[in-house]
Amino acid sequence: MVPAVSGEPLPAPAVETHGLDAWYGEFQSLRNVNFSAARGRVTAIIGPSGCGKSTLLRALNRMNDLIPGYRTAGEVLLDGAAAPSDPAGVIALRRRMGMIFQRPNPFPMSVFDNVAFGLRLEGRRSKRDLEEPIERALTRAGLWDEVKDRLDSSGLGLSGGQQQRLCLARSLAVEPEVILMDEPTSALDPIATLKVEELMREFRDEVTIIIVTHNMQQAARVSDVTAFMLMGAGRAGELVETNSTIELFNRPKDRRTEDYITGRFG
Amino acid sequence: MEPLPHRLRPSLDSEQRRVRELVLEMGEMVDVAIARATRGLVERDVEVASAVIAGDDAVNQRQSEVHEHCLSVILTQAPVARDLREILGFLHMSDELERMGDHCVNIARIARNLADLPPLGAPVDLPLLSRTCAKQVRDMLNALVARDVERAREIAARDDRVDRIYHRIVDDTLQVMVADSRNVYVGTQVILVSMNLERIADRVTNLAEDLVFLETGAVEELG
Repeated sequence: MVPAVSGEPLPAPAVETHGLDAWYGEFQSLRNVNFSAARGRVTAIIGPSGCGKSTLLRALNRMNDLIPGYRTAGEVLLDGAAAPSDPAGVIALRRRMGMIFQRPNPFPMSVFDNVAFGLRLEGRRSKRDLEEPIERALTRAGLWDEVKDRLDSSGLGLSGGQQQRLCLARSLAVEPEVILMDEPTSALDPIATLKVEELMREFRDEVTIIIVTHNMQQAARVSDVTAFMLMGAGRAGELVETNSTIELFNRPKDRRTEDYITGRFG
Repeated sequence: MEPLPHRLRPSLDSEQRRVRELVLEMGEMVDVAIARATRGLVERDVEVASAVIAGDDAVNQRQSEVHEHCLSVILTQAPVARDLREILGFLHMSDELERMGDHCVNIARIARNLADLPPLGAPVDLPLLSRTCAKQVRDMLNALVARDVERAREIAARDDRVDRIYHRIVDDTLQVMVADSRNVYVGTQVILVSMNLERIADRVTNLAEDLVFLETGAVEELG
């Protein structure tokens, strides 16, 4: 088990993969990935471009299944149970695992309707049923005070940072167990980035966060555990090392990790 | 796995090189200062003692430079892992060496005070303590250049010998003072010199701990 920062053991994994392989057609993108993300903690996935970080992230909630020619072998477990692969199961799976992308992608509708979207899919229709969870989600996303007077305005009218927090609120509204983040702040300015990072820390214990980031300082700032991936033979992504973030950035176990994080490739 | 594409960090490398050079220069200066301060004391050579006092500015100057370089590296290069340990390790070493320089100045000042006074009424082996401390410093600097962690641990373990010599000098000096109260002033100064030498040796242990941290990432208590 990976030690936590404080030395206490990490909670049990909320998400894990065992021997996960993935292919896009003939191209193997992931090889034998044994990944794990502790419940209620932030796990960062770092590594050079093309090492399979995003493929791994998207394999967790089966987003890649939509790509023709994509297939996997090995296991993805959520709460220790195999993640479903049938269509109904996948929808339920994605409800449990929210996702935030590189560019904010609010729907072209009002702030209120954006956050209500998932709730309405769950059958909650009346305004009375929606108002309370929407306020809660927007508050948790640190956005309530900024938008409470313009809930009916378009989500697209918000700033980039606000839009990303709106997407976060949209995810939070359905109370997911896990939020997957794929470079969530790379399109944001430093202040907006810090706000999102601060929220990630606030979700500790409540939500499991898995974040793919190119920004190693961000991984160091926000995560409890960091996983380092690298392209192996045939350019297939492999997991080199998973360790507590402090340990990984202080004394990585694997020379390749050290070479990457210190910028000395050799 | 395929090797990563080749890339270097010349700015970071050159800053680290400069920090290392400065710290090693400080080490050499302290090494010379210990020998000179003791010579000034034993040979009652006021000029040599004064040179130690004047030379401390150069040690302090280098410490400031080390601080500036380390701050700049942390601000601009965001070092991690070994790179960060290297910076933190040498930063702390520069502080230790600066304090060692101050101990030498203390000894040199005492040497100047004692130059016109008669020697202590009985022999105490200050030169042995001084030689032993100076050897600790030199060995530690060599271990630092070689990045030899095992050697650093051995050097730290030898601090016991310094402590034994120190305590013997204190005991001998006290006896001389008790036997003849005219020895009290000079005896007190001899004890102060011994204390400063002993503190220098203690700081060698700290340098050894810094090297262990720098090389392994482990915080080890070697004292």
